[in-house]
Amino acid sequence: MKNPYEVLGLKEGASIEEIKKAYRELVKKYHPDRYMDNPLSELAEEKLREINEAYDYLMKNANNTHQRQQQYQRQQQNQNTGSGYYSGYSNNSQFVYQIKMMIQNGNFAQAQRMLDSMPVRDATWNYLQGLLFLRRGWYDRANAHLQRAVEMEPNNMEYREALSRVNTQFNAYRYNHNYYRGGYQQSPDMCSICTTLWCADSLCECCGGDLIACC
Amino acid sequence: MFGYITPDKPDLKIWEFEVFRGYYCGVCKTIAKQAGHRGRIVLTYDCAFLALLIDSLDIARVSGKQKRCFVHPLKKRYIVDSNFAVEYASDINILLAYYNLKDKWQDERNLLGPAGMTVLKRGHKRVKKKYPDLVEVIEEELNTLRELEKQNCDSIDEVSEPFARLMQKVFLHANDCENTGKVLGWVGYNLGKWIYLLDAYDDIEDNINSGSYNPLIVQFKYDKNEDVKSFKERIREKTEFVLVYSLSELEKAFSLLDIKKNKSILENIIYRGLLIRTRNVLQMGAGCHEKSV
Repeated sequence: MKNPYEVLGLKEGASIEEIKKAYRELVKKYHPDRYMDNPLSELAEEKLREINEAYDYLMKNANNTHQRQQQYQRQQQNQNTGSGYYSGYSNNSQFVYQIKMMIQNGNFAQAQRMLDSMPVRDATWNYLQGLLFLRRGWYDRANAHLQRAVEMEPNNMEYREALSRVNTQFNAYRYNHNYYRGGYQQSPDMCSICTTLWCADSLCECCGGDLIACC
Repeated sequence: MFGYITPDKPDLKIWEFEVFRGYYCGVCKTIAKQAGHRGRIVLTYDCAFLALLIDSLDIARVSGKQKRCFVHPLKKRYIVDSNFAVEYASDINILLAYYNLKDKWQDERNLLGPAGMTVLKRGHKRVKKKYPDLVEVIEEELNTLRELEKQNCDSIDEVSEPFARLMQKVFLHANDCENTGKVLGWVGYNLGKWIYLLDAYDDIEDNINSGSYNPLIVQFKYDKNEDVKSFKERIREKTEFVLVYSLSELEKAFSLLDIKKNKSILENIIYRGLLIRTRNVLQMGAGCHEKSV
């Protein structure tokens, strides 16, 4: 087993609070939901398992078994809802299920052949085609097909979830924590400083005072 | 490669910047060794990133020295010693620059092509001998790309596929471990897609003026009477989606890598540098600083 502190990205002897915080962040980072449409999902699962083991080990040593179990159970539940993806909803015929499994296993050519042979291009077809394109890295088409699926059957939660997952991933990176953690870009520029001063001056003048004498 | 991959310099610590430049200089020095001093002109930041990423998977500490170099004789600079990663990146740089020049000559009859190719000929031959399988795959993907471009392919997904796959192979080939290779490959795939499409957006004006192929012009049906600016605005959101989604997939793959060193520099590039570059090219305001490192 790897050094559990290293797995959680901590220095040896980190406090329980630090361990919990690091654990929460890592679980978010490697959560199955985030990797659902990604070809590396298995590796992410493995990483999460490692993190759970490390966390378990550290918490056991910290004599905190009760909480650990709670956390762990919550985690397991999360994982279950995560992988419940393919066992899915009502309209899963054998055919649809097969295609989903092929996409899941990276068997893209055969999945595409089966999709091509489907006579009706309904919401389900668009949904599956969207998932397939997403896995292959054809994001433009994937997005279009998923949108079409939702337009055709707006009440289907599975399709809506897939589309909203795509948007979540897009926005999560676009507004990522690292980018917006407040670097040099957040400081006000000359223009906004001037405007603020001007406003302040006007307000003062309204009240009969003056902030900047020359204007 | 096009030199789109740069860090967000103002957000780097000074030592981080020195190390990044150290890799850049290291790759440059190795190119000079492999292809002669004139070969240095083809150096790109993208290959400095490749060297940095590949070397960061190795547990050995960064080793380098303060040295004077041929290009900047006045001041000593930190230069990373040649190692597997630096050498690999320099080989890839030579290889891709060679094909890029060849392409320029075949498409535009640009005289830079044959001139550069003569300079790189020796280096290219050497690299070809060193990685025969990889070079064969790269040539195959480039042929597919030429074919698609010639057919006026109307799907940005389809036409960006060969270059994305090419980069996937390049990244995958850099590591022997199966799982790490797979993850690196997905980093490369999405990076390739991003580079190809970003370059396409960047070239819209030139391509409209010269009448040459550009996937965005074809897929989004540019009309001859349309103002170029309003066309770019019209397709901005759709292009941004594909570019940023590619980066988000790249980030997920990167999170799975076991990075042993230089983590803060890599994170700067992946979470900030690439995003800022995307916004600059798409002209989306906020943080436009287009200065060379």
